[in-house]
Amino acid sequence: MSLVNFTSREITCKIVYYGPGRSGKTTNLQYIYGNVPEERRGKMVSLATTTERTLFFDFLPLDLGSISGFTTRFQLYTVPGQIYYAATRKLVLQGADGVVFVVDSQARQLDENINSLRDLQENLIGEGVDIRTLPIVLQYNKQDLPKDLILTQEELDQVINFRGYPSFTADARGGKGVFETLKRVSEEVLRGLAAKGPA
Amino acid sequence: MKAIKTVEPWALEPLEKFLAEASARLCLLTTPTGQVIAQYGFSRAVDVISAAALGAGIISSSREMAVMLEEPAFDALNHQGERHGIFLAEFSSPRGGLVVLIVYGPESSPGLVQLFFEEFVRDIDASCPPPAHQAPVLAADFEKELNDNLRTLSGGDV
Repeated sequence: MSLVNFTSREITCKIVYYGPGRSGKTTNLQYIYGNVPEERRGKMVSLATTTERTLFFDFLPLDLGSISGFTTRFQLYTVPGQIYYAATRKLVLQGADGVVFVVDSQARQLDENINSLRDLQENLIGEGVDIRTLPIVLQYNKQDLPKDLILTQEELDQVINFRGYPSFTADARGGKGVFETLKRVSEEVLRGLAAKGPA
Repeated sequence: MKAIKTVEPWALEPLEKFLAEASARLCLLTTPTGQVIAQYGFSRAVDVISAAALGAGIISSSREMAVMLEEPAFDALNHQGERHGIFLAEFSSPRGGLVVLIVYGPESSPGLVQLFFEEFVRDIDASCPPPAHQAPVLAADFEKELNDNLRTLSGGDV
């Protein structure tokens, strides 16, 4: 849930990177962390297993600077993608102002993507969030893999994006599409915040 | 005494009183999603935003465990270490749920923190105004400012 302070003119928003296991959610945050000036980011916190899989969440605070006279900060979280961690995934999603759904573009991962998107929708509905109004952006990651292994943006839009969310192709390891996705979800979140006010 | 940094001015007085009486070393007041309302004593070595996110994670896990056990919400969580202890609790206020994280040393104790925490909750209840449902007014060209800022962040990637 966003925090807007009119005295100090500060806005803080929460964006959650959601998606199936190994789709590249943590990689998105690691790329952002590694490519923004040190003074504009806080420490990246990763609660991971010994095999570097996300156990609870990754967390990265970002200082976006001044927007319309408000000091604007975004807190980026990832959820654990593995099915086993359904309970913690639900907790991290609480209070999200926007969601980036990271899709694994590999054709063989299609069912995992669909199940994870369904899981996202069920969790949002469970939290009383209107999935038609919450800013959600899709990122089709791993588009750098050989063409015969992956689905194109058009194919993924057709199968997964039936709600017509903004979608971006990406190669999170190389950084392609990472900031474009962040930019779009940031715009949607701020526009939504201005339109309806903090909850 | 170090300065308390507050985002919300109504938190200042109750927090000053609580810190003095409970002899706490660090204190953090946040929303249940980890947005910082006020903090005292944090330095770069103990990152305040990370502590807020971790505290919110622990509280939400504990709350969910209580639901699974069909328990009313747990009052507070206390960890006693060799040099420091931490006290973490969620409570209701006119602004909704708030979370407090206290780090204390040997000069204090879990009992002392708990005792003055209850008083702190009453003080916050008295000082905290109800939330103002006011939307920030963003300039028509806020996207341009956002883009400029993101370009600075990404080194021109966007």
